[in-house]
Amino acid sequence: MKQSPKIWPALAAPGATWLLALFGIPFYAVACVAFGTIDPIFRDAVPQWNPLAWDFGQAREVLASVLSGPLQGVFLRTIVYVLAAIITSFAIGFPVAYFLARHAGKRKLLLLTLVIVPFWVNYLMRMLAWVNLLSPSGLFSRFMGVFGIHYNWLDGSPITVVLGLVYGYVPFLILPMYATLERLDWRLVEAARDLGATSRQAFRLVTIPMAQAGMAAAAILIALPMFGDYYTNDLLSRSPRTEMLGNQIDFYVNNSQQPQRGAVLVLMLSALLLVALSWYLRSTSRYAKERTK
Amino acid sequence: MLRRDFLRNLVITTGGLVVAPSLLSACGTSATSSGELVIGTPTNPTKLPANGEAIADGLAEEKGTLEILNWADYTNPEVIADFEKLFGVTIKTSIYDTEESAIAKLRNGTFKPDLIIGLTDTALARLSAAKLLQPINKSYIPHFTNLIGGLQSPYYDLDSQYTVAHVIYANGIAYRTDRIDSSVFTSGNGYDAMWDSAYKGKLAVLDSYRDTISLAMFQAGKNDVNTSDADVLSAAQENLIRLRNATNPKVDILSYQELPAGNRDIAFTWSGDILTALGYLPEGTPAESLGFWYPEQTITANDFLCIPKDSKAPVLAHKFIDYLLDTDVALKNQTYVGYQPALSTITVDTLLSSGAIPETLKDSLVTPEKYDSGQRLVSLSPDADALWLDAWAAFTAG
Amino acid sequence: MTRRRFRVLPTIIWGYVIWSLVPVIIAVAYSFNDGRSRTVWQGFSLRWWIGDPNASVLHDASMRNAIFNSLILAFTTVVIVIPIGISLAVGAHRLRGRSAKAVQGLTSVPLITPEIVVGAALLLTFTRLFTGIPLGFPAQLLGNVTFSISAVVVIVRARLVSIGSGFEEAARDLGATRFQALRYVLMPMLWPSVMASLVVVFATVIDDFVITSFLSSGVDSETVPLRIYSSVKGGATPALNALATLLVLTSFTVLICGLFGLSLWRKRHGDNGGLRAALADVTQADA
Repeated sequence: MKQSPKIWPALAAPGATWLLALFGIPFYAVACVAFGTIDPIFRDAVPQWNPLAWDFGQAREVLASVLSGPLQGVFLRTIVYVLAAIITSFAIGFPVAYFLARHAGKRKLLLLTLVIVPFWVNYLMRMLAWVNLLSPSGLFSRFMGVFGIHYNWLDGSPITVVLGLVYGYVPFLILPMYATLERLDWRLVEAARDLGATSRQAFRLVTIPMAQAGMAAAAILIALPMFGDYYTNDLLSRSPRTEMLGNQIDFYVNNSQQPQRGAVLVLMLSALLLVALSWYLRSTSRYAKERTK
Repeated sequence: MLRRDFLRNLVITTGGLVVAPSLLSACGTSATSSGELVIGTPTNPTKLPANGEAIADGLAEEKGTLEILNWADYTNPEVIADFEKLFGVTIKTSIYDTEESAIAKLRNGTFKPDLIIGLTDTALARLSAAKLLQPINKSYIPHFTNLIGGLQSPYYDLDSQYTVAHVIYANGIAYRTDRIDSSVFTSGNGYDAMWDSAYKGKLAVLDSYRDTISLAMFQAGKNDVNTSDADVLSAAQENLIRLRNATNPKVDILSYQELPAGNRDIAFTWSGDILTALGYLPEGTPAESLGFWYPEQTITANDFLCIPKDSKAPVLAHKFIDYLLDTDVALKNQTYVGYQPALSTITVDTLLSSGAIPETLKDSLVTPEKYDSGQRLVSLSPDADALWLDAWAAFTAG
Repeated sequence: MTRRRFRVLPTIIWGYVIWSLVPVIIAVAYSFNDGRSRTVWQGFSLRWWIGDPNASVLHDASMRNAIFNSLILAFTTVVIVIPIGISLAVGAHRLRGRSAKAVQGLTSVPLITPEIVVGAALLLTFTRLFTGIPLGFPAQLLGNVTFSISAVVVIVRARLVSIGSGFEEAARDLGATRFQALRYVLMPMLWPSVMASLVVVFATVIDDFVITSFLSSGVDSETVPLRIYSSVKGGATPALNALATLLVLTSFTVLICGLFGLSLWRKRHGDNGGLRAALADVTQADA
């Protein structure tokens, strides 16, 4: 059997080594901190590098806190916010992507450019823009005041946080959605219409199933960063009422002397995402198998 | 064939897993546990353990940059600019928002300042145990004698070996006089106002676990703010959760801006903050719209200046400390920062006679009698600290 | 039926465009505000850009420092990550078997990992394991390179797939060594992806917040996003809006230069498709 030429591994080696050293090993380091011991004076984490000596006590404590203790609220709240944000993002983003893919016609390039622009605007600037608008003397609050709605938007309001997440991440949904819809075989939809389906039926029974995999991919694509988001909440609300998982991780890892708790939470977040990801992979491969039947 | 490959791979992997960690740990550092915490209290003052020598006398000051670690808006920019001109150096400031995050970042090397402003007694035991501070050479600080007598050798650091007192303050409740009447605080338990759902969404507490948990204790009539009693702490935790449910508080240290801006009506804060707030009033809002309730049972405190052990500009740092203790500079600083300098030359009367303090805020000034009768926060043992932090985590996790 | 949909959808999309862009435009507008407020218009002025001797972007040393740090971090990351990424993509593309799958997995995982996980992991690593690497610029650089490698690989791999192996095989048939085929045939064809990677990585790093924040070391390593974040929480002047606008302008300038470079290259090499194809190149990484 001809040996694969040495040049290819040689080319791939620097990058692969880099990723191993600065991505793989840090994950291992997180585990070592999470399952290590605590310094008695500073209550600081002492990492345990030998996996055979890992101590799961602290991890079990945090897990208990998540399942039935103070962290339960944070976890549930994060899941609820992310789900709400995804659903709202789809409600806004899917029609936009659909229009771009199907009906844009002459204006397509212009609209595409306008839709892409938010990508290139710094996320923080987009949030800053809303912080200004939503502050009590801001334009949006004053506008709402005209209708008699006096509400302090920046006051620990879950609506503001969810809408902030939507505003921030919906562009990341629209592009993949557009890419998926553009590549769909629209002749199948036309065929369905020819066979007598109404446009609504064709949409529900042909378009959606074809786009399903792409929709799931787009949903996962924005769900993952949302789960780790902490700055949106920090900027738009500074209240314990909207505390998210990312805030807790940021607090424990950066601002406390108990990074061990933060490490455990990071592992839990990664585990959660692994579950979501493997669900997605399994459903898309199953879907792909069905399509090729 | 396949089985042999499989077994070979298995041996290599497990061998790697066993060998690699010892290689890894050779790379990393092990955290050194530096002995017990030395905690001074008012009834049991302490001399901190030695941590090397102070710098020699008579050295010339360094050129270049002085890096300061400070709270936000805690030193008058003009005072800083004047120092820069005086010594021909540049000053860079890094900001911290809580004591805990400052300690964490000092210990893990995120912050490497030349001078630290604004830490308090509750941080000192750990700073000392982590051997983070260098002894102060008072020959560079002739203005040291300006300090209030009692603070020249404080209980937490006898002989001021590692720290130099900076400002004094007390905890209390700041409010908008145009929205809340002062009788709210004088009829019955003034602390109850913080639990009043009438202020829902317009109320704030400090992002400082010792101060805010103490608030809950004072409201319940408990005065031991250094307790390690688990029952007292869990009662305080419940009390704080009641506060959270009733008033949906903001938890930060920004009331000195948000209160004058009108975004908040009432805030549990440090007394100096309400004086700082005078500078943030928008045009058209009079100074009298700010008020401060000074509780009978409350915490009084002072913070300090200290120099990290590996400061790159220790002489400049000493000179800056001396500079801040000069009466005129301290007064100029006070007009911006609000907090009372811990100098015997600047008394409550001095501040009142300057005319900058409105009638409604006279209560926020800490007289010597008030200072002595307040409760002091001291460092906690690690176990007690863990209880406090758990209570705080339960409150902030929503 | 279809006619109704036609009227609803355009409303939605134009509504979306307005909702998406107007707040940013307002924020940019307020950077020219005459007074201290970021919310109440007090007249037009260049005060926060160049006028105010203390607090304007031009004169405030800490703001200039932030801009400088952002640019240096972005440039250095680009310079390091593009060779590594191209090399990895080309090498991995031709690998077979288990090692191919392993490398594929290794490069895909960063794309789906939230930044907070990477940031926290790197912070713990640099403070407890690789303690020789100081926090601040060195750590931020390494972190951003790590996070960007995958983006480069995705862009380059897409191009490799569309190029196919035909050209190289032809070169080998004509007597070139594998290395010569790579250097003289494949690499020139990869130019569009180099430019696209440059644009994408530069914009990503200059906008990066989480990793840069976790690995920062105080005011010395403050970049513009970090500055914006810490200032929004405390009293900020319209100079903050100005700073953010500058950041956006920088990203856009790099993007537009990249797009034009790409369309020029395509025109010269006979690809048609012009601007739209260039746009597609650049958004490859996100789709």
